[in-house]
Amino acid sequence: MIKVEVFSSPGCGKCMQAKAVLKAIAEELGQDKVTWRDVNILEEMDYAVDLGVMSTPAMAIDGELVFSSLPSSAKLRSELDRRLG
Amino acid sequence: MYTIGKLAQHAEVTTDTVRYYEKEGLLTPVSKTDAGYRLYDGDSVRRLRFIRQAQQCGFSLTEIRELLALKNSDASCCRDVRSVAVEKKLQLEHKIRALQLMSRALTELVTICNDESKPLDECPILAALESSMARKMK
Repeated sequence: MIKVEVFSSPGCGKCMQAKAVLKAIAEELGQDKVTWRDVNILEEMDYAVDLGVMSTPAMAIDGELVFSSLPSSAKLRSELDRRLG
Repeated sequence: MYTIGKLAQHAEVTTDTVRYYEKEGLLTPVSKTDAGYRLYDGDSVRRLRFIRQAQQCGFSLTEIRELLALKNSDASCCRDVRSVAVEKKLQLEHKIRALQLMSRALTELVTICNDESKPLDECPILAALESSMARKMK
């Protein structure tokens, strides 16, 4: 099970749109394979700092900062495919 | 209208600071007297206080320039400013973490020095710093 976490601040309009597209990709693979969590950076600042998040939006996969800004759909898809083997 | 001295006094900064902000493109005089002295108005005082306050919150001059641009742009909204503030807070949290690590490293060094009367060439703090430098250079 792959855990995708997206760090952003609430009310970020450009994040909302981009996130929706990426979330759809994760959901296509099935919730038994990929889980998605929206992380409110203001509520979980310590966790974000632990992972090395320096700016938002950012994406961590399985507790590791993989994308310091939101990836393109193709990049996310290939990263998830690689991890699913 | 205010002279540079009066403006500086109002915002509790020095005239050198005002000139520096002008050089950095953050604050320009409203006009100049015939003799070439800079003149400022009430907006200049508010702008100068804004710059000082933002600096105290950890914003760099480049970031303050960005904030001022947002402040004066019709297309920007509160959300844009908030997102700059969130990013800054994130950076500060990283810095705090790094400073805590540095502080802990110093505590360890202070702890290994248990004899203050040792000659300088036997100082364990200097030795530890030298050996960590040597490790980095390898």
